[in-house]
Amino acid sequence: MEKVEFVVVGAGLSGLAAAMVLAEAGAEVLVVERGDYPGSKNVTGGRLYLGPIRAYLPDLWEDAPLERRVVKERLTMIAPKSSITVELSSERFRQPPYPSYTLLHATFDRWFADQAMKRGALVIPGYKVDDLIMKDGRVAGIVSSGDEIRANAVVAADGALSFMAEKAGLRKPHVAKNYAVAAKEIIELPPQVIEDRFGLENDEGAAQLFFGSLTQGVHGGGFLYTNRESLSIGLVFALQDLMDKSNSKSSEELPSLSPNGLLETFKNRSEIRPLIADGHSVEYSAHIIPEGGFRAIPRLVTDGMLVVGDAAGFTLNMGVTVRGMDFALASGVMAARALLRAREQADFSSSGLSYYETLLKESFIWEDLKTFQHMPDFLANPRLYERYPSMACDLLEQLMWIGEGSKEKFSTTLVRTIRQSLLRVGVLKDLFMIRKI
Amino acid sequence: MNIIVCMKQVIDLEQIRIKPNTREPVIEGLPLLFGDFEKCALEEAIRIKEVHGGKVTALAVGSPKLRDTIKEALAMGADEAIILIDPIFQDSDAMGSARVLARTIEKVGEYDLILLGDSSADEYSGEIPPRIAELLNLPQVGFVREIEVVADNDQMSEPKKIRVARDMEDSLEVIEVDLPAVIGVTSELNTPRLAPLSAILKASRKPMHEWRSDDIGVTAEEVGARASVVEMLSNLAPIQDRKGIIYQDVEEGVIEVIKALQQEGVLTQ
Repeated sequence: MEKVEFVVVGAGLSGLAAAMVLAEAGAEVLVVERGDYPGSKNVTGGRLYLGPIRAYLPDLWEDAPLERRVVKERLTMIAPKSSITVELSSERFRQPPYPSYTLLHATFDRWFADQAMKRGALVIPGYKVDDLIMKDGRVAGIVSSGDEIRANAVVAADGALSFMAEKAGLRKPHVAKNYAVAAKEIIELPPQVIEDRFGLENDEGAAQLFFGSLTQGVHGGGFLYTNRESLSIGLVFALQDLMDKSNSKSSEELPSLSPNGLLETFKNRSEIRPLIADGHSVEYSAHIIPEGGFRAIPRLVTDGMLVVGDAAGFTLNMGVTVRGMDFALASGVMAARALLRAREQADFSSSGLSYYETLLKESFIWEDLKTFQHMPDFLANPRLYERYPSMACDLLEQLMWIGEGSKEKFSTTLVRTIRQSLLRVGVLKDLFMIRKI
Repeated sequence: MNIIVCMKQVIDLEQIRIKPNTREPVIEGLPLLFGDFEKCALEEAIRIKEVHGGKVTALAVGSPKLRDTIKEALAMGADEAIILIDPIFQDSDAMGSARVLARTIEKVGEYDLILLGDSSADEYSGEIPPRIAELLNLPQVGFVREIEVVADNDQMSEPKKIRVARDMEDSLEVIEVDLPAVIGVTSELNTPRLAPLSAILKASRKPMHEWRSDDIGVTAEEVGARASVVEMLSNLAPIQDRKGIIYQDVEEGVIEVIKALQQEGVLTQ
């Protein structure tokens, strides 16, 4: 039976970051990835915040194949037939060190895997880890197609649904309310066209988030990111809501309620159509996103195993920003540091590995997840997707509309809107809820 | 029986995209791996070795990425690997590549059989097997989809012959060849094994030699871009002239399609 020091399950950002730091310190590390190449099974909306992770991975970014640095933030409220977009353009975004970049997993992850391999990690794609070797109640390795590989410790970097964490007894089976499902498309356009359509200069990028009743009453958000030569566009739905809505619709309507069907409809909205016109769709993907937040984090350490990245539920949807990749990278580095310390003391039990939790709890990951722990409840509020966007859009439309005949006083329109839409018990509850986020 | 398998790392063909405006293939950054043809050649070598004993040596010329790619050959069951990495090998035409391989085989010296893919999955020129055979003055058979070692009457001695079936599309030609010989194989030969994960770990402990031009005595005059007599003029995807018309209604659509095909001259009136 073969033995290595460490096995990392999954060649995503967290797994590769862990492998890279371990290999750099001279540890023997094997990364097993079920996809055909690192990144082939990974999906991102498309933006990485570098600010929080430069301290963890300082010398990596010079040659990294990032797409565009984001200098323009747009937030769009969507009502069935109208929308309001707020655009923030700031000189602060245009000054180095740049806060965030768009990226594509297919290019970035392969490059990142190469960096890990250059430092001595062995990254093997095309192999699925089926099981863990358990010995005396501790994780002692992995099983792939009946082939056993023993290890001092295993890093579970196997993504949102982490079967490794479940097999090791660190988490209960999944519940739909802790997850979102995303559908995404990559649409190729010449760089010049992208820059013209979004009002950007060379290498500059834009990020746009959408929320509201995107399509057919299913609650969710949308995203649009500019890459060098393509746009990443997608929708994210609360899994539970999508399931409920699908069940209540008649079977004839069902097909269009698939995430991809809804994305097709979304692309046809007049806000989106001109942005993607004449583009070639080159990639479709869909993925599950952990959105349970702080309260859905599983146990992260057991004897012989650590859980990192999406597998640990390290993502944060704050409505105006969505994050995950920075958490993945940083948690991978922290896991590696904890493993290196455990290696010095030759103690891979849960107490030997507990330094990982110590590091996490001192880090931005824990702080941010904790600060925004009520965000999932806040974002589950149906009024956020139906009443408020519609009210805001209708109000602006009424104020700005000049038709036949005379126009009523602004104050009359305002008072009527407030009376119709805001004087409700639910709205007061929502105002109260805002204090928590 | 000592078998040398020549292998070429090629880009993952399934991941190639075509730029819609220029029709150029996008190949930058794509992973490099061994194609089906070379894996079939290696699989056959391993199977022969499993029955008749001996040694399988994997041989490959290519970019520094080969140091990773070659591990798959070792994991599948090659006993030893020789990789040739040198900037002067770059942009060789088939003659140049064959020369590098032939010189390396000469240096290895002890061999009974040279197996390789009949063509490479990327360029598919099919020139390498006959060119190597010519340079080494050996018999050569291409399009081989079956190989059988002809056992000598005296069981103790090394086999001296193989019987191969050559794919002629509508027939099979069966040929007996004296060893040593160069055999170009097709992907119908076998189904290559998937190496278990533990074999990949073991592979990094098997002997792997990295040679440069000096080691095999070739110069920049003989191989690489300077020696190349073949010039690639263009590499573009064929033009796809699709009208992209969608007829929604089945009844009317059929009539419309017939009308359109008649106008195009595809159907006669």
